[in-house]
Amino acid sequence: MTLHFFVNEKPIELETAPDRRLLDILREDLYLTGVKEGCAEGECGACTVLLDDQAVHACLTLAAQLEGRRVTTIEGLAALGELDILQTCFVEEIAIQCGFCTTGMIMSAKALLLKNPNPTESEIRLALSGNLCRCSGYVQIVKAVQRAAKELEAKRTCGV
Amino acid sequence: MKLIGTDKPIHDARGKAAGFVKYAADIMLPNMAYVVVVHSTIPHGYVRQIHAEKALALPGVFGVFHCFNTSERTYSHYRSNIAQELPDEERAFNSYVRYVGDRVAAVAASNQETAEKAARLIEVEYEELPFTTGFDDTLAGQNCLPGESPIRDEFSFDVGTAPEKDGLIEVESFTEIPRLHHATMEPHVCVADYDPYQQQLTVYSPNQTVHGIRIVLADFLEMPFHRVRVVKTTMGGSFGGKQEWFLEPTAALIAKALGRPVKLVYSRGEAMSCTVVRAAMRAVVRSKFKPDGTLVALDMDVLLDAGAYIGNSCDYIRTLSGKPFRCYRVPYFHYRGRVISSNTPVSGAFRSWSAAEEAIMMEHHLDQAARRLGMGRIALRLKNALLPGEIDRKSGVPLEDIRIYEALEQGRSAFHWDELVEEDRAFNTANPRFRRGVGVGCGGHGNTYYPRFNDYGEGRLSLNEDGTVQAALTLHDHGCGTVTAMQMIIGEVLDIPDTDVYLPEGDTAVTPVDYGCFASRTTFVLGRAAYEAAVMLRDEILERAAKLFSLPQESLYLKDSAVRCRNDEGVKISLAQLSRESIVKLKRNVSILTQFNNTSNPGVTGVHFAHVEVDTWTGFTKILDYLAVHDIGQPINPAMCAAQIQGAAQMGCGAALREKLTVDKNGRCTESLSKYHLFLATDLPDIQVKLLTEGRSQEGPFGAKSIGEVCYVPAAPAVCGAVNDALGSSLETLPYDPDCILKYLAKEREQ
Repeated sequence: MTLHFFVNEKPIELETAPDRRLLDILREDLYLTGVKEGCAEGECGACTVLLDDQAVHACLTLAAQLEGRRVTTIEGLAALGELDILQTCFVEEIAIQCGFCTTGMIMSAKALLLKNPNPTESEIRLALSGNLCRCSGYVQIVKAVQRAAKELEAKRTCGV
Repeated sequence: MKLIGTDKPIHDARGKAAGFVKYAADIMLPNMAYVVVVHSTIPHGYVRQIHAEKALALPGVFGVFHCFNTSERTYSHYRSNIAQELPDEERAFNSYVRYVGDRVAAVAASNQETAEKAARLIEVEYEELPFTTGFDDTLAGQNCLPGESPIRDEFSFDVGTAPEKDGLIEVESFTEIPRLHHATMEPHVCVADYDPYQQQLTVYSPNQTVHGIRIVLADFLEMPFHRVRVVKTTMGGSFGGKQEWFLEPTAALIAKALGRPVKLVYSRGEAMSCTVVRAAMRAVVRSKFKPDGTLVALDMDVLLDAGAYIGNSCDYIRTLSGKPFRCYRVPYFHYRGRVISSNTPVSGAFRSWSAAEEAIMMEHHLDQAARRLGMGRIALRLKNALLPGEIDRKSGVPLEDIRIYEALEQGRSAFHWDELVEEDRAFNTANPRFRRGVGVGCGGHGNTYYPRFNDYGEGRLSLNEDGTVQAALTLHDHGCGTVTAMQMIIGEVLDIPDTDVYLPEGDTAVTPVDYGCFASRTTFVLGRAAYEAAVMLRDEILERAAKLFSLPQESLYLKDSAVRCRNDEGVKISLAQLSRESIVKLKRNVSILTQFNNTSNPGVTGVHFAHVEVDTWTGFTKILDYLAVHDIGQPINPAMCAAQIQGAAQMGCGAALREKLTVDKNGRCTESLSKYHLFLATDLPDIQVKLLTEGRSQEGPFGAKSIGEVCYVPAAPAVCGAVNDALGSSLETLPYDPDCILKYLAKEREQ
């Protein structure tokens, strides 16, 4: 099939099999390797990306589901060499160790903050419950999202 | 101190947050082939024939490799240094297969899809042999070949003299622990490249020792060491799971045969069933106490199922026997260890290398002893905890300023243990459905291979022309901030920003020969090597400055990336200027090489406290509160230490309550994370961490001790103890999952 969709706001036209996984399209066809494969069955969340602002598993999303839709990957959050507020909070709150879960974790948090800019701690934990991390006890990750929510709120209030 | 003791993100945190950092699976080389391995579908038997014609006929297939067309040379997947004497048990592809998951063949093709398709087309004919999957059938010898004994290794020894005194209270406990999966988020990967003209092999993988792999590959492929380059890639978690070699020899063999780069990426299922698991174990622990709770004698009888290959099991079960001495005063110790080999996934290294397993056995035993003696669980531990100045009675090594006693006392108060005990009693009386309890777990570990091997570390440093520093130490950062810690140590000594130090990770072409990231030795041994190297570079800088600028060397010092003089405030020679003038005028780089020989291994310990609530209707256990207290010496980067400790608590909660890699009656192991449950963000409380920093080591950099493994040791025992406290039980088989708890409660109701 000829697929037309958007990745990180850029229009993409691709000849692909309808059952090709979004994960392979991103990693192999578009070289967006920030999306990770940890289990290939929707259990670990390392491949989380946004599909029309909703967090989805790229390993369970097929090409046929993508026509006309908007995919956002970790590479789409900030310009090359820069980080957005959420990414910066993950760095500064020491929420990153091996980093393999990080990009999926950040994308799940991103989807949450788009829907719910002022989440409670339990709402954050729930939004991240599809993302496994083996290095941490999730403490700094939750703190990073809390801080990002606060900073984004301050930014909105200041109208910057 | 400017840097030591401050909180810093891991060196590559920004790149990881951006998704920019490349892991081994992200490596794409021109002309690269993709490899898929065909694993044995039977648990025990011989491969009689392999039909590869259909696979070879598929367009895009470069080759099929199997036990009948590749080398019969064998290797040990566990070999990691030159000092080990080990049996070489495995081939790249085995014709005698010992478990479902043994490698029998592999396909290399132009892309992953084609390789997978071709792998499915390979037909393997087997001759099946009887097999075993559990302790009892294996002990009965049901999978033994003629002449084989079911016991593959057995040994026993004593420390001290057996007590004769009467009036001692005897306690006996039994513990069984299941196989565990490391569950690193990054499955195993290897990229191998071969240049047939220079006969040069290059291997990239996330691993814990580049030099260890080089030994295995050079021997296996019959190549000289200098033609084998092994590069450690960004590690997506290891916990011991990436220190044994299942992919590297296979990928290297195929790259060499094809003369092109190959990539081998294991799926989650393969990572679970075809690499290493933590061994299943059974233990009977017996002890004798004085009525006041003083431990007089301890006897441990441990049975370990190595799985299909012996691998590290003989070393592992011996290492376990030393662990009680890192925590408690044991006047007399008797130990018997036995290793059996069932047709199940291969056992191997797991975070803490047997200390966590020993602690599960020992702490479970102490909880039962406390009941028997009518003592508080903390009081009993305090009675027997090692004190500063005592020695490890098995190895004879001084434990220096060990602070397990203090960790117990401080934790008891910070966790409000005594109050929680009272509150839980009231809660349990008022609530028929939920039962609450508290648990405590103690654990000790080491910081180095010493005295098992004479450990050492090499560091090389040189000053660049702009005053920044180039370092070479062989590091294998697992994501816990090793590189950052070394930058901080070097930066502190030289009084330069940590970010002015460049450190590549393990690469046999670049970094010095080293044992690798084992035995929690990195911060302690390599950190000290980094410290020594930095001191040597500082002295070299000051000597050159004295010579170049005719200044008295004894009055010179470094401050803010410049040489300063105590007698003359006007002197300020930047490191850049010093470096350039040394090159131009003295015709010498400013560079040094040093080797540090380590001769100590102080006590490093931790105590964890857990408060749980068990739902007696569902059997589900919730962790309400958690505190980890660690006797860590000087923390180099406290935030990264805390992050590791919290991760260890998560992992230990899993080991206590959920994690179990099951093998079915056909020998097939759990191959999905949907059937291997890890702790999620919603399952854990805000894990509290308290670092005790006064128990400094003599040799570690700035008095540091290890953290990465010791923090896992007390976790599962604390949680198990809390469940047993809540239920008034002494459950013997881990994990305490809902099945286990409901079974216990049903039995309790019957009685």
